[in-house]
Amino acid sequence: MSEISPEVPDNRQDAPSHVDPNSTRITKPGVKRLVLTLSVLFSLVLGFPFLWKSVEIYRSSLPFGEISEMESNPSLSFPCRFQAVFINFNSNPSPNHLQLSILDKITELTSNSSQCGACANDLALSVTVDSISSCTQTHPTDNSNYYRCGAISAVDFDFSNDDDDGVDELLESVLGVKNVYSVVVVNGGGEGIRAVVGKYRHAWIVGSVEEEEEESVLVSRVAEIFVKMFVNGGTENGLIHGEFMPVGADRRIVLSFNLLNAEPNDWVYDWDFQRVDETLLAPIIKVLGPIANISVESQVLYHTPKSSFSYWDEKWKSYIFSTKDLPFFVNSNEWHLDTSIAAGGRYVPSAKECPLSLLLPTGEISKTNGFISPMWGGVVVWNPPGCLNSETNHPSRHTMSREDLQAVFEVFMGQFRQLFGLKSNNLYIGASGTYHLLPSGKGFTEWELDVLSRQFACFNLHSCATTLGSLSRLVQSLPRMIIMDEIGKLVQFSLEAAKLAQSNASLGDNESSAVSSGQARSLAEDAFFHPSIMSISYYSFEHCFAIYSPFFLPVSMHVLLAALREWKRYKQEKAKYTAWKAKVKVES
Amino acid sequence: MQIEASLWNASWATDGGRMQISLSYAPFEARYRGFDVARCSVDKSSDMNQFSSSGSVLKQGGGEEFSEELLLKPFPDRKVLAHFHFQSRAPHSSSHGRHHHLFPKAIAQLVKKFRVKEMELSFTQGRWRYEQWGGFDPLSSNNAKPPGVELWAVFDVPQSLVDVYWRNLTHTLSGLFCASINFLESSTTYSAPELTFKPSFGNLRYGTLPREAVCTENLTPWLKLLPCRDKAGLSALMDRPSIYRGFYHSQRLRLTSSESGSDEVDSGIGLEQTLTVVLQPSSWRTGKTYSVETNIQPSWSISSIFGRNIPGKCVIAKSSNVYLHLDNGLVGELKNLERENAKYVANTFESEGFQSNHAFKISVTPDKVFEEVDYLHGKSTSVIYGFSVEKYSDSQPFDLGLTWKIPVVWSCQQAPLHASRFLMGSGNERGAIAISLESTESSEGLPTSHIIDGRCELRVDIFQVVPWYIKVYFHTLQVFVDKQPRAMADVVDKIRVSPSKDKVSPGVMEMILKLPCGSKSAAFSLEFDKGFLHIDEYPPDANQGFDIPSALISFPSFNARMNFSEDEFLNNSPILSKFQETSPVLSYTEVLLIPLTTPDFSMPYNVITITCTVFALYFGSLLNVLRRRVDEEERILRSRAGRKAGWISQLLSRLSAKLRGRPQEQPTSSLPYSFISFRLVLKILLVASIAVTWQYYFG
Repeated sequence: MSEISPEVPDNRQDAPSHVDPNSTRITKPGVKRLVLTLSVLFSLVLGFPFLWKSVEIYRSSLPFGEISEMESNPSLSFPCRFQAVFINFNSNPSPNHLQLSILDKITELTSNSSQCGACANDLALSVTVDSISSCTQTHPTDNSNYYRCGAISAVDFDFSNDDDDGVDELLESVLGVKNVYSVVVVNGGGEGIRAVVGKYRHAWIVGSVEEEEEESVLVSRVAEIFVKMFVNGGTENGLIHGEFMPVGADRRIVLSFNLLNAEPNDWVYDWDFQRVDETLLAPIIKVLGPIANISVESQVLYHTPKSSFSYWDEKWKSYIFSTKDLPFFVNSNEWHLDTSIAAGGRYVPSAKECPLSLLLPTGEISKTNGFISPMWGGVVVWNPPGCLNSETNHPSRHTMSREDLQAVFEVFMGQFRQLFGLKSNNLYIGASGTYHLLPSGKGFTEWELDVLSRQFACFNLHSCATTLGSLSRLVQSLPRMIIMDEIGKLVQFSLEAAKLAQSNASLGDNESSAVSSGQARSLAEDAFFHPSIMSISYYSFEHCFAIYSPFFLPVSMHVLLAALREWKRYKQEKAKYTAWKAKVKVES
Repeated sequence: MQIEASLWNASWATDGGRMQISLSYAPFEARYRGFDVARCSVDKSSDMNQFSSSGSVLKQGGGEEFSEELLLKPFPDRKVLAHFHFQSRAPHSSSHGRHHHLFPKAIAQLVKKFRVKEMELSFTQGRWRYEQWGGFDPLSSNNAKPPGVELWAVFDVPQSLVDVYWRNLTHTLSGLFCASINFLESSTTYSAPELTFKPSFGNLRYGTLPREAVCTENLTPWLKLLPCRDKAGLSALMDRPSIYRGFYHSQRLRLTSSESGSDEVDSGIGLEQTLTVVLQPSSWRTGKTYSVETNIQPSWSISSIFGRNIPGKCVIAKSSNVYLHLDNGLVGELKNLERENAKYVANTFESEGFQSNHAFKISVTPDKVFEEVDYLHGKSTSVIYGFSVEKYSDSQPFDLGLTWKIPVVWSCQQAPLHASRFLMGSGNERGAIAISLESTESSEGLPTSHIIDGRCELRVDIFQVVPWYIKVYFHTLQVFVDKQPRAMADVVDKIRVSPSKDKVSPGVMEMILKLPCGSKSAAFSLEFDKGFLHIDEYPPDANQGFDIPSALISFPSFNARMNFSEDEFLNNSPILSKFQETSPVLSYTEVLLIPLTTPDFSMPYNVITITCTVFALYFGSLLNVLRRRVDEEERILRSRAGRKAGWISQLLSRLSAKLRGRPQEQPTSSLPYSFISFRLVLKILLVASIAVTWQYYFG
């Protein structure tokens, strides 16, 4: 056989017969076998990283740094363009002085809230003092879009009378410039100061101003109109209120209206929703077009009792349900409403509980008889006329009259505005006085629409940031999760779209900012809900171990043992050889 | 009052069994949130009569209509059929796509979104017994369905888009009805019949899921489409335990929509929902009549079958009727009995209207009696009693009862041929499907309208879909008529075959047969090979076997149709006007269960383990061969043996040698030992190779 070790024949031929092979060695020990076993061991050790690399789970690298950066500050800064026009001021205050004091006030008001959509960095204010004799104006950067001197005086309008709509239209014709919010301060008129916010992008303050203190009051009111109304939309809690904006990333809203007949055996009410859609809803939908793509549908449901209870109250001559019953009012078992976001329900109570009224915590009966249930939408209880005295035993089919529908829809408008976070009062009580708000016939004023579109962009960006943030946290917490390239790409695109939205917003392009923020949001959601994320359950560490251990465990045992043995023998033999050599040296 | 929760591990709930519930994590904890448990309030005014007897039909809103009807029919095998029929209509208009008063919004949106022209979805449990329950009348032709889910739809889109629309439709329906209809999305499960199923122009898709279990979670969304749901009207009868206890249960939804372009009267969307149940009346008088008559039909009433009464009509419904149908076999039998008794009893069948005769008694006086007019035979015809529910209310519920007085034996009219299908062959490799058609008695004396060229022929259409893993060899089609083999061309008039493609499409066979009139039986057989599935394609319960969908046998030359004498009332009753429509006689065969080779799912691991072990052994021995010094080891061993160091150390060395896996060599016989071992190994190898070759070639 070939594996006869070379030492042994040497021993036999050359060594003197008295040499004991167990203790002495006269030839140098060979390294052939040692090199062989060690090379096998080293190649195994070296090959291990390659194997590890080749069976590694594929993880596309996600830009974690950028994501966390965006999550920490998902804000858009829109440029704000304000102008204040002071008319008929005899004392001729310096516009520069006014500008400075208004700007001071504005920064004072905005300092406590640094929200998305607020104009923290890019703020421009132009002040014009326009009196009969002279007109002075400050221009921030460009003077093209601002008020031309003498334009209002030229029209010669009487601001002191109560024709607010007329004033509004007049100001629109004079100042109608996009993206610039203006406040006109008119000196003169009656007693006190009256502030009105119009349907478009301007407000006016009428009052007789003579002294210095009055001027500071005016300045603070002007600043308040700018900040609280035009920037924040008249809401106290600012733009990002909670996490709710009833518009999807694709800008679609389905308004679903349901008429719920609690007990059709008593009476059945129907409505002519087609006409309502055409006359009442169509203008609103048109107005909201830039923000949302709204579609309307309706249905009538029967046998839909509410799931809370009411009691008879002699004082109000009606059945009462209180505000603490509201969470249980919507009967999710029987009310087959849609899952659309803004489902409006009209509830017609049965004869057993006919005038059904909502008792407010203040001890009064609600005028609207309606409420908003989260995730379900607005509910209005509509009591059929004459339900107390009618003793009809016939189940009869009625149609809701036009007036009733109109009344119900006024309540709905309020609820709809509330869904968007807007208030429906026509008075706003600020820190420095009250403001009249002119209601728009279309449901939403133009400055409110501006606020909504900014809010939409902000909400999209915010939700994109939170989605990406939770995705990155998920990915980092699960090291054995497969992350496909698609997810990496989606995250990349989403971040790019978000950056584009931010840069567009700072350029003042609301429209494209809203579009790209919507893209960012939907891409982030696509990444988060990508089906390949589910593949985590298919490749566990146990699986990996079960596959590779039957081969590598015995092989590595063999290799390690062989190397160890060979190394031990080599050392032993070498010691024998050196001992023999030393002996030979001594002998010689 | 109780709350129930269930943990679902069914295939529809677990993404086809891929994401199973791991029961090793049990016990599970469930939390409810966001709902309140309310007490029942005592209804003070429940004894108040809320209905006047006038029963005025309410004006319908928006031209949308809804009507509800129930048909009851005694069967010869002591069972009772209850057939609920709800019909909703929505007129077509551009606006009504969005605003609805009665018609379910979800269905209208579905029709609009997926451009559905016609669609039928059925959930069935149990098998319709054609021998006992009949197969010739419109009821069985329309409502007897194959077990599981059957869906077909005709789309109003170009042919290239039909598949896309079908896929989207299945997903939507799956969500709408809480069923795994979305499994019909894959192209291996649906087909496009052209010849036999319905006249279509390539825009029809047909798919079945034979294994789908039908339960209340499918019924509840189906009921949601009714305006009154199961709160009022006839649907209030649907007591879940009673209707699922039945022998046959089929809920069906059929949609027809027509474009606004056609100026038909019935343009718009029509939704027909039927629930067909066959129940065994628990004869509450068995204790009394047990010894007297055992073969008397059980007497029943609505309350005894369903455990509930009809609490008046659904207020929104246009009409609400209950019918009792006595089929022609029963009526003929009763007339015979009547004739025998005519000598003794004076009253005749015609004058009495046959409601309270000597054979049975109906507890409620019918409002209408319809008699079928059979122009062809003039023989015995079926009778339908109509009852209007409008005058009944909560306090005075409607309860129809049928009490038998004498035993009556009759049989239902059957389809001309009785079809059954079975498997032939054994083993996991191949087999054959056989479809056998047996002539029934009713095929004799059939109308002679289908005599072609002087030859009397019976046309039979067969439509059969087989999944791709059943690889059918269509050339092996064998035809037997009256147990004699016949050439295919003699019998088969037209055949369309689309062979299956692996993992792409199922095999479809459509045949139009022309059988000689007098033939007693016909049989077809097809051979197939069983295919292999990928490990991912096995369902979670692979050992149960695989279902082959039912074959559809239709007899186009026979029309299941009932003729009634002209009556104004008939046009207002959807169920009766449905009966008067001409529809071909259809019957479905049984579902076949084919066992396929089920792999041991731990096989990959076993293979990996054994290969790895072999490789490791090879590697280790190669390394040893390269490394070991036989001479030196032998020398060491010899010297150790020579030392004779007591028996303990000898034993130890022997043990260690054994542990190391090296043969303990005796110093005396070292050379012959290795030689012998080499020969021994050679011998063993030879024997092993012979065994392997034997196993390979003759095993």
